[in-house]
Amino acid sequence: MKEEIINLISEVLEVDKRKINENTNLINDLEIESLDLVDLVAAFEKKYNFEIPDKDIKELQTVNDIIKYIESKNV
Amino acid sequence: MYRLYIEKNISSNDLLKKVLLENKITDDIIYNKYGKPYLKNTNVYFNISNCDEYTVIAVSSKEVGVDIEKITFKKRVIDKMCTAEEKKLIKTPEDFTIMWVKKESYIKYLGIGLEYGLKNVDTIKLKNFIIKKIDNYYISLYLGNKVEV
Repeated sequence: MKEEIINLISEVLEVDKRKINENTNLINDLEIESLDLVDLVAAFEKKYNFEIPDKDIKELQTVNDIIKYIESKNV
Repeated sequence: MYRLYIEKNISSNDLLKKVLLENKITDDIIYNKYGKPYLKNTNVYFNISNCDEYTVIAVSSKEVGVDIEKITFKKRVIDKMCTAEEKKLIKTPEDFTIMWVKKESYIKYLGIGLEYGLKNVDTIKLKNFIIKKIDNYYISLYLGNKVEV
């Protein structure tokens, strides 16, 4: 799961996956803007086939937050 | 009344200091619970946006939201964030970028962040966005229903 998520982040944001680990903060470390964040969330929705409401986006700050969020949806 | 400041290669903080100095404002900045900044005791509103080397600050006598984005096209974002009617109208990267900056500027005007739901911002029904283009970037400014220029 962790590797799959890191691969997807790397692909969507066009960031070298060696620069991403579970503690990476999307905004502070990867300096992504809201458009990329929404694009990334949409990519997770497509891959795991469930909806992430806009109100949940702000909780997804680190790679670890994303892993926990997706696991909590029992994917 | 509003004024838009657009500068390259300057941080948000530095441009804000410059704008406040120019407007002779020496006031504390406070934030609402969603992080939108306000001047504590001055009846002047402002909003900031960055993209790449550009920083824009809108200053207004009433609530304001501003957003800048480089011309781009993201199909997944269209699928997630657009109404059926909006989807029909988005054909080019320019269409997409204008739609995105409109949605963002409206949400920033409201001052409540993404929680409002970008799909709930209907850029066809909402009027009075002020759209500007600079290089390969679009800027949207939203000042509410009635615009005094």
